[in-house]
Amino acid sequence: MTPDSSSGGPFSGFDLVAAGPEGPREDAGAGSRERSVAPGNPTVTALRARFPDAFVRNEICAGDEDVVYVDPERVGAILGWLREDPDQHYDHLADVTAVDHGGGRPLEVVYQLWSIPHRSALRVKCELPLDALEVESVTGIWAGADWLEREVYDLFGITFRGHPDPRRILMPENYAEGHPLRKDFPLRGRFSRAEQTRRALTQNPEDHYAPGEIAERAPQVVDPADPGAGEGEGVG
Amino acid sequence: MGVNKPGILGSGTPTFLTTRLDFVVNWARRNSLWPMPFGTACCAIEMMASAASNFDLARFGMERMSFSPRQADVLICAGRVPYKLAPVLRRIWDQMMQPKWCISMGACASSGGVFDVYSMVQGIDTIVPVDVYIPGCPPRPEGLIYGLMMVQEKIRGESLANHAELRAEDPLAAGRPRAGDEEVRDLTGPFGNSTHQNRVSGLVETDAIGRAEDRLP
Repeated sequence: MTPDSSSGGPFSGFDLVAAGPEGPREDAGAGSRERSVAPGNPTVTALRARFPDAFVRNEICAGDEDVVYVDPERVGAILGWLREDPDQHYDHLADVTAVDHGGGRPLEVVYQLWSIPHRSALRVKCELPLDALEVESVTGIWAGADWLEREVYDLFGITFRGHPDPRRILMPENYAEGHPLRKDFPLRGRFSRAEQTRRALTQNPEDHYAPGEIAERAPQVVDPADPGAGEGEGVG
Repeated sequence: MGVNKPGILGSGTPTFLTTRLDFVVNWARRNSLWPMPFGTACCAIEMMASAASNFDLARFGMERMSFSPRQADVLICAGRVPYKLAPVLRRIWDQMMQPKWCISMGACASSGGVFDVYSMVQGIDTIVPVDVYIPGCPPRPEGLIYGLMMVQEKIRGESLANHAELRAEDPLAAGRPRAGDEEVRDLTGPFGNSTHQNRVSGLVETDAIGRAEDRLP
């Protein structure tokens, strides 16, 4: 094969990845959109009975991993119930993360739960449309969600209502190029390398790692009743 | 320079030697290089191995890893440097006393390596001046030792007469990029090591792309 033909067939797979899916994939939707997959985890049935209006669908992933899709408006109530109900008792929040499938599809926020007494795992997902990337914070249920939600905010731009410290966590504080793990984010960032270097060197490392940081920031809890009063950063 | 009391050459005899000031100063400097280890990734593991007994950096007068930049002579940047770490690296370099040298150890520190992404400095020479680049991913300890010996060779050729000119640095440049915009653009240009990135970025095709085609199933 000659180098001249390199724009042809063999790279079409790469081009598809770069462009992203055009829209919701019909083939994937046929199976996963079904509301009733027989769950392996009894929690799924109980959750469906307890929150029939907030239950969107459930699926089995990778053979035996139960996934529940719920209404993003009810995430706080559902996760609080999963944490407190003695039959469920998911007392360990293993991870909070998000998935961007690209192509205008909604972002998924993923809560990976583990119940230490019952030794069972559950994955709860909620789908956020791109024009309403906001969900309730679960820091009041699991304190460990603090940094995980900051990471999701930093890299995906999802705002967590009622988070006590809604700052970036991985990217620099003065980062202005957006949220890097979104599918529409260019791999090398939006600014030129010279601008990125200049901006990076204007940071003051002490701003973020002052010894009294925790004590100083503790009073700045955002009032859940008035999230606008907090110091939330603008998206983008 | 004369020394009239009993010295290293024996007692009772006047011990002195004549030499060039450049030679004796450079001899002292190059044989007591104290490295400032700035290890951020796997290259730092090789750097630690270089200092340990098997490779024994102490043979070259570098047994004291100086964890204070004020007492260090050569900055060894071993590993990838994200933009968030850039001001830290720059500050450590600014805090080091003249004369000072810098070694960029490994592909990531020298060019960004495979991390041609939004978060990674594409070569620390956009931030601090680099004397020796050590290729490798990571380089073996022999590579680091060879790089340090190249720094020693460089010191051997320096002269106090034009030393200030050689290592001149504008104090106002502290905390600023070392390179101008044009130079940063040239330095950070992607290499031919990422077929997909080059295609997406619309850059001219390189031979590497033509060959990569053959590797695809």
